[in-house]
Amino acid sequence: MWGYRRRVGLDVARWKNSGWISANAHDQILADIEGQGGSIHLANVLATLASVLLGFAAISFVAAHWNEIGRLWRLVLLFGLIWLGYGAAGFFYSRNRGGFADAAILFAVAMFGASIMLISQMFHIDGHPPDGILLWGVGALLAGMLLRSNAALALAMVLAVIWGWLEAEHRHSIYWPFLAAWGAITAGFVWQRWTPGLHMSGLALSLFVIFSAALLDRDGGYSFYFVTAIGLAAAAVGIVGERLQPGFPASSSALWHALVAYGALTAFAGLLALQFAINPDLQTFIILAGISLTLLIGLIAWGLSSHNRLALWLGYIGFSIEILSVYAKTAGTLLNTSVLFLVAAIIVAGLAVMAWRLHERETQTPVPS
Amino acid sequence: MTMAKRNIIALLALVALIQTGSLGAIVYNRLHLLRTGREIVLPVIPVDPRDIFRGDYVRLGYPISSFDSVVTKESPMPAGLSIGSLVYVVIKPDGAAQWKIASLSANYPQAAGADAAVLKGRIANIYDDQAAGVHRVFVNYGIESFFVPEGTGKPLEEQVREHKIETLIALGPDGTAAIKGLVIDGERHLDPPLF
Repeated sequence: MWGYRRRVGLDVARWKNSGWISANAHDQILADIEGQGGSIHLANVLATLASVLLGFAAISFVAAHWNEIGRLWRLVLLFGLIWLGYGAAGFFYSRNRGGFADAAILFAVAMFGASIMLISQMFHIDGHPPDGILLWGVGALLAGMLLRSNAALALAMVLAVIWGWLEAEHRHSIYWPFLAAWGAITAGFVWQRWTPGLHMSGLALSLFVIFSAALLDRDGGYSFYFVTAIGLAAAAVGIVGERLQPGFPASSSALWHALVAYGALTAFAGLLALQFAINPDLQTFIILAGISLTLLIGLIAWGLSSHNRLALWLGYIGFSIEILSVYAKTAGTLLNTSVLFLVAAIIVAGLAVMAWRLHERETQTPVPS
Repeated sequence: MTMAKRNIIALLALVALIQTGSLGAIVYNRLHLLRTGREIVLPVIPVDPRDIFRGDYVRLGYPISSFDSVVTKESPMPAGLSIGSLVYVVIKPDGAAQWKIASLSANYPQAAGADAAVLKGRIANIYDDQAAGVHRVFVNYGIESFFVPEGTGKPLEEQVREHKIETLIALGPDGTAAIKGLVIDGERHLDPPLF
């Protein structure tokens, strides 16, 4: 949003100076962007970080098991801090300080988590640790949905990932209930139209698919073919979806962009595992490396054409990882070095095509008159 | 104050109430269990202690934490049990201050016997010991950690290693177990009451 506001600010100033728009239109456009909400102010960011730090302070205080304050008073203190957090949120809402209110809600949800830890410590409840994380996550989701707090929803997603991971680790099998939690929190992000939340959802789902495949991988890595297929399918849905319904939901392409980027990320993770984790024969390795590089070049090209910076960065980073990994694996024998040159040739050819397409588009961009 | 602002304050109070209410319910249930639950004393065996997020604690292991289930053609695994599933363990007295596992089941056993106690646990692991022809089932009862103030765990660990400690358990009618305190050299050390 910062970058968008800055770009539009520069553009409308240029248009006003060129006489294309009036001073009144310039002011109205800037006022509209300011009024759209969702902008990030340094004060709000710092308030959110302060809440995170206070949360860690409270959890460390619980862990210290300081007996100078009785157990009841420690409990009363944390319950009081929950209410103080929500009270502060009410105060900030009444003064139209939504960012600070969000930080106060995050603080209250952190105190809720610290209280869960305190109670389990007080009564020596060892139990099943993911249950405590689940309860905390449900509390965060409740606050996120009822109070429409992005920060609380983000915390709920982090907790859901930890919960799903702990359960899967414990059971040594795919933990499907994670998807229900993921769906509920993602629905919250969509409802809030919060783009960073959609990125969190994309990343969480990618991690779920990759981690689940790693759990299943007992038969030579075949599950990673499924990971690649799932990732490619998601990316394809994103590309087709943007073509057919570009403004879904809520006049935004964010959902489709996230699908393409995280689908490609998942597919690339699967391809990386197939190339480097299970040691395929050379022919298979070359085919897989070729597919990976094609995917990444395609992702970069799509990122450029659709102005999806996330896809662009993922493409660049994935490209670097792939090149370095291929180099580390093949450097040594003449035959393998020739494979390296072949791969490099594919990369350079891909870059040449991309550069040509970029040049074509720039020369064809119409100049406003 | 506008309607929207009144609504948000009502919602804030509702969330705070639900969160503190759910925590209060956990505290109440635990206090009720500790006050009214049947008391049993379990011997403790030493297990390597670890530190986690909730601070220092002493790890408590119990002779009833593992159970050997014989592998047969008809019953290759304990019926209805898998890693992570709930399990009801019937224990019976076995000499002075000792208990041994009589049976394991996925549902609460109705006819356990008057001298027996039923504990609800969760299957932590199932180890397939093919040489012995048994499945070794490891169960957690939620009473395996004893949290202590920072830096005070070492002396307690020593006593656990020297087998001077037993755990005093409160047992609910549904099999839920809670640590009520420790018995050190025959002397009861209960946690101070919450209020």
